[in-house]
Amino acid sequence: WQKVLYERQPFPDNYVDQRFLEELRKNVHARQYRYQAVVFQSGVVVQQLCSVCVFVLTWWYMDAGMLSPHGLFGAALVSSLLGYVLFDAVDGGAGRWASGRTRWADLKSTLVFAAFTYGFSPVLKTLTESISTDTIYAMSALMLLGHLIFFDYGANAAIVSSTLSLNMAIFASVCLASRLPRSLHAFVMVTFAMQIFALWPMLQKKLKAQTPRCYVGVTVLFALAALAGLATVSSVGAVLFASLLLAISCLCPYCLIRLQLLKDNIHGPWDEAEIKEDLSRFL
Amino acid sequence: MPPVLVAAMVLKVFFPSCCSSADSGILIGRWISEQNAAVILAVVHFPFIPVQVKQYLGEVQRVTKVTVSVLGSWSNSKQEKEESLSEFLEDLGTIFCHDPWIQISKEGDSKFWSCSTLQKHSKNPQEEEIILVYYDQRKVMLSHLHPTLDTAGQGAEDASKLSAIFDTVARSQVLFMTDRYDEGPIKLTHWQSDGVEASIIVELMKQASVPACMLLTFLLSLVSGICRSRVLKFWPLSFLWSKLSTCEQLGHRLQHLQIISSNKKAQNQTQLMRYEVHVKLDVSWLYSCLLWGAQTHVAEELQDLLQWLMGAPAGLKMNRALDQVLGRFFLYHIHLWISYIHLLSPFIEMILWYVGLSACLGLTVALCILSDIIALLTFHIYCFYVYGARLYCLKIYGLSSLWRLFRGKKWNVLRQRVDSCSYDLDQLFIGTLLFTILLFLLPTTALYYLVFTLLRLLVVIVQGLIHLLVDLIDSLPLYSLILRLCRSYRLAGESLSSAPAALQSNMAGAVLGGWSGWRSGKGSSPEGAWPLPRLPREWSRPRGCHSSRAFGQRCQGCTGWDCWGVCEVLRVGLQ
Repeated sequence: WQKVLYERQPFPDNYVDQRFLEELRKNVHARQYRYQAVVFQSGVVVQQLCSVCVFVLTWWYMDAGMLSPHGLFGAALVSSLLGYVLFDAVDGGAGRWASGRTRWADLKSTLVFAAFTYGFSPVLKTLTESISTDTIYAMSALMLLGHLIFFDYGANAAIVSSTLSLNMAIFASVCLASRLPRSLHAFVMVTFAMQIFALWPMLQKKLKAQTPRCYVGVTVLFALAALAGLATVSSVGAVLFASLLLAISCLCPYCLIRLQLLKDNIHGPWDEAEIKEDLSRFL
Repeated sequence: MPPVLVAAMVLKVFFPSCCSSADSGILIGRWISEQNAAVILAVVHFPFIPVQVKQYLGEVQRVTKVTVSVLGSWSNSKQEKEESLSEFLEDLGTIFCHDPWIQISKEGDSKFWSCSTLQKHSKNPQEEEIILVYYDQRKVMLSHLHPTLDTAGQGAEDASKLSAIFDTVARSQVLFMTDRYDEGPIKLTHWQSDGVEASIIVELMKQASVPACMLLTFLLSLVSGICRSRVLKFWPLSFLWSKLSTCEQLGHRLQHLQIISSNKKAQNQTQLMRYEVHVKLDVSWLYSCLLWGAQTHVAEELQDLLQWLMGAPAGLKMNRALDQVLGRFFLYHIHLWISYIHLLSPFIEMILWYVGLSACLGLTVALCILSDIIALLTFHIYCFYVYGARLYCLKIYGLSSLWRLFRGKKWNVLRQRVDSCSYDLDQLFIGTLLFTILLFLLPTTALYYLVFTLLRLLVVIVQGLIHLLVDLIDSLPLYSLILRLCRSYRLAGESLSSAPAALQSNMAGAVLGGWSGWRSGKGSSPEGAWPLPRLPREWSRPRGCHSSRAFGQRCQGCTGWDCWGVCEVLRVGLQ
């Protein structure tokens, strides 16, 4: 018996011999994770959750009048300058050289941000005057949730869209900023949102790639700061948020590795044909 | 041809209803041999000299181009039947040789007529049937069934048979011009024999119309020459003309007047019928009072509306700042408009008065002027609509474009589709900022757009209704309608030429006064009683004033006749 169909053989078409199950393979594509690596990778999610938390906390403080816009603007400016220096210092300017972006372009972008935000801040302040506060809260919550869902955590999936994610965050920040008492508040709030949602993830990515130890430290510090801030507002919220962070960074990786053991994929000659060649050049 | 063979059996005699009470004499008319029909036009009374009759008929034939001949004899004996007269009448057949010789006789006041034919060359001994068709000469003559030159179609065979008879009556109009008061060698009885129908006013108008028409034609050609001159064709003016419906309507009116007053012969009667009578309404004072009051009222109403919009209209979530800005802008516009109107008010009443005078050109012109004045006086509403629509359009366009940016897509112009695109950070930021702002401002703009669009729509609907009315009046064949109501028999030809054959005979029957007659054996006495219409006697009675003979014309009023005629035709049609 031969495993061909083009020759006439004294067997029925569906005949298989004893060697059939020899080609059975199990868990071909299953990856073996190490617990520490998974915990390290989950840092991105923790970071993004903390970013949203810090943003909402800042808005809370500003709305309550506990945080002056000047103070926040100064702090954000200083941290932005530090981050900018760090961004180039971490990889020694290699990334900048690769992207071909000049410092003049950076300055221009900054000026455009500042000018537009400052120019539109009076409009932003009166934009949602007639709309009820609950509607605004609901819309912001929805948008921030969308931001977390569509954020590019490094996974290769169709749902990921960093543009949509950033736009949703900006929309939420504009909605929340319009609730603040004065136009300067709105301006500072939108600027801060830009820094924490657009610039901070870029720095994180570079830190994670260049100095993983440093990245872990920064993540832990950032998470602790967010938790401390939340504790001043609501201790229950802080406890819940801490448990959420712990679950994401410790429990979820453990579950992943434990469930990986139960994986039982079989592969064999009965699988449908798979095109191995890279077809992206045809697209 | 089989239909001809069948028709050869039956002899049709068309007898004028007015002659039913005429004295005895001979029947003159036309013999249509193809249809085996005799159309009797008049009765010549005794005494006459046969040579003179022949001479007279020859003259008539020369003028009318209709072969008029003596067809038979008519005897109306008031008392008992005279044997000698009937023999004399049979002898007449030998003098005026005609084949067949028709003999119709009526005795006293009885309803029985006898009708027979004499055939000298009787090859076929079989009995011939006779159908006596009673017709009203006046109606048949005035109806338009007789073939016009341009509409003589080949398709309507049946209609052409009837129309030959109608044509015969219509063409022998000369025969009806003499009446019994005229001194002449022969005495005739026909529908006008008691007096020729005419009207002094119509005659006078006929005399006056020629110079009047010439003058009018000259004036109109002058006006149209000015209108066609090149000075009025340059851009701003031509644009203005195209926008004003009054100018268009005036052009139509000018054309109509030119056609009516031209001294060329009208191509067909129907064309002239279309030029309907226009009702003159003196609406000038109406304009100046009504529109003036409405104008200030509309401005005040608009102000109130804007105040309402500047608040929280219908509990809608409007952006207060934008609302105020838009409201103040439109209020300022209204303020400008009101001051402009006040500046114009001393002149506008006078202008409206003179414009209103042009309403004497007809109701349609007046309506068009009304439409144009509405358009001019609601110019501010139009402006508001344009502003609102422009703003709304801009906003929708921006939003649709920014929504694509929000999703990280863009419109690919070359492939006509939406592609994904990687934007810069600053592009994203400004795009989203603008998107948010436009989205929250959209309801305000949309509301303004909606309100002003509705206002504009109202004006457009009013104007559209006026234009619809104008079109209706323009295309309404008013003259034909009045004719249909008052003298429906005159329209018989028009409807006949387009109706199917079966219907045509019915309609023609109504005009002819009903296909009433009997079929009898040759030479035998009548078997059925013929319900004689009471119409003819009434018909031929003179209604006019005989004292007007001094004018040399014996006139008869027409109106009383026509009402009677309508009733009769309706009655006969119902039967």
